[in-house]
Amino acid sequence: MKGFLSTLAIAILCIMLLPVFQSCHKYEEFANDPEGNFDALWTIIDQHYCFFEYKDIDWNEVGQRYRAQLLPEMTNEELFDVCAQMLKELKDGHTNLISSWDISRYWIWEQYPENYDERLIDQYYLNFNFRQASGIKYGILSNNIGYMHYGDFGSSIGEGNLDNILAYLASCDGLVIDVRNNGGGYLTNVEKLVARFTTERILAGYISHKTGPGHDEFSEPYAYFFDPAEDTRIKFLKPIVILTNRASYSATNNFVSIMKSISRVRVVGDSTGGGSGMPFTSELPNGWNVRFSACSILDPQGNETEFGTAPSEGCKVDMTIDDIASGRDSILEKAFEVINDMIAAGL
Amino acid sequence: MTTSNNTTNRIVAIITLSLLVAAMPLLHVNAANNKHDTDSLPVKIERPVNSAFTFDIGGAQILDTYLTPIKYTGMNMRIGYERMQAMKFSPLHWISQIDAGIDYQKVKNIPRTRTMHSLMLEFQWGMMHRWHIDCLQGLQIMAGGSTRFRGGALYNAANSNNPVSAKLHWSINMQGMAVYNTHIRNLPITLRYEATLPFIGAFFSPEYGQSFYEIYLGDRRNIVHCGWWGNRFDMRNLFTVDLHFGRTSLRLGYRGEIETSFVNNLNCHFFTHSAVIGISGEWLTLRPGEKTIEKARIISALY
Repeated sequence: MKGFLSTLAIAILCIMLLPVFQSCHKYEEFANDPEGNFDALWTIIDQHYCFFEYKDIDWNEVGQRYRAQLLPEMTNEELFDVCAQMLKELKDGHTNLISSWDISRYWIWEQYPENYDERLIDQYYLNFNFRQASGIKYGILSNNIGYMHYGDFGSSIGEGNLDNILAYLASCDGLVIDVRNNGGGYLTNVEKLVARFTTERILAGYISHKTGPGHDEFSEPYAYFFDPAEDTRIKFLKPIVILTNRASYSATNNFVSIMKSISRVRVVGDSTGGGSGMPFTSELPNGWNVRFSACSILDPQGNETEFGTAPSEGCKVDMTIDDIASGRDSILEKAFEVINDMIAAGL
Repeated sequence: MTTSNNTTNRIVAIITLSLLVAAMPLLHVNAANNKHDTDSLPVKIERPVNSAFTFDIGGAQILDTYLTPIKYTGMNMRIGYERMQAMKFSPLHWISQIDAGIDYQKVKNIPRTRTMHSLMLEFQWGMMHRWHIDCLQGLQIMAGGSTRFRGGALYNAANSNNPVSAKLHWSINMQGMAVYNTHIRNLPITLRYEATLPFIGAFFSPEYGQSFYEIYLGDRRNIVHCGWWGNRFDMRNLFTVDLHFGRTSLRLGYRGEIETSFVNNLNCHFFTHSAVIGISGEWLTLRPGEKTIEKARIISALY
């Protein structure tokens, strides 16, 4: 009996020790010191960032250059500044280092004219006579052109709200959708909005994600489509002009790139700010968060729009200081002109 | 990061376990001629249901590189139900087991600035062959197989487009149990060790940098994987002691869970160590019109 019990005990012990033999896939762990945090940040971006090849960035060289600035006794703020400067090399508005006292940023629109003055529109075009629903400000302008400003794709849009808005604007000859200064939000809101301006299934673009840590490891771009809203929903199928500036970013850039492929739609203003990489978030050993572009969304023609979606041909317009001083939105004025041309062309 | 000797280690583990499982029936066990074997006798047999409700509390360590490269640690809790019964076709030699549970983990990163929540549901059904061991009265060895479905999600609120890592896993498992019924003074107790080792199955994993939005859009390529010891290793160890105070028993014990996977370049670890407390007991069902079961032979699955 003793022999049997010994055998049984050994068997149980061996089974319990199985996990010891089973060596899990090891992963890199970094120390919580300046060098460890820097290396963690560099590695996260190195393995997950999706635009190295498109932007022709030598990340090893960038890493060496900024690693040379590390000092063992440097403060957290000094380390943050070094890391933030390194991330700016990516020229990506979706890439941020987030600490408890600051968020590093690269906002492309800071380098361009603002091209938008909300007060000017409210006062001189809407005469402060507008409605608001689901984060959309809308009204009918004196020339019977509908105007709606959607300032944040993070504001959820209700289908019922859209029905009300589009029913109100249904009698207009054309529609201006102003997405200037809309910094993005939920892509599901893009789908919901686009569905009101088409009667058929449209190719919305392609999406490609990283399949591994290598800079060239990507999935085959996957074509995705948007369906029109249900027949019971109200749609606007007359000429549409979308107003953009460099602060039209991320989900807004996605919206513009899709709408631009619809024949009754023109884009007027400045190029969008881009931001076609869907951001993921990770973290460093010291608790700082890092956000970065993780997968690329291409426009319906299969082009990258990371650096922006250009206005339609002949529709690039900047607002001047004189325009603003005289209460004139030159981008909106151009939109009126384009809509009239489209009506004349029978669109 | 991967290591080059993973395969070798796994092969060693597989061979070790296989030898143990293969050797089990040879361990002085004589099932065919067992003196307890009365399956063929024309005696009425009753098979009580052994049910246990348990609550686990302990620690958890979770890594999921889809969400973060940092290992999180914290607490684990589980509510579980287990049902065991001798099987009708051969009550002495075969038992069935159902094990269902819901477990929740709340874990934090090293600087304790971010919290991750995990909620998982599981259901397992299995059958085991039982051997009564002649050389030690009260000892039973069981070995068999089971199938388990486990699903849930990890949620890290600090993340932007990757806040959730969904988990779905179906497996076929090897399962073994040693049960020893004995006494401490006048108190009857049941000692039990159970190991469950999935060896094949299927599980879900997004691709390395794939968002769930993309999956929602319809890109479902390469998200379902055959689970085997080359890309996944899970194991559960359970020690319990049932203290029989009259009709119900107090169950105390330890449960250790190991779940690891490496697929699509994503590394996931899920380790828990928990104390188990619960109540267990055996119940018999009386058929309509049946007033007594005194003359029946009662064959328990566990006790």
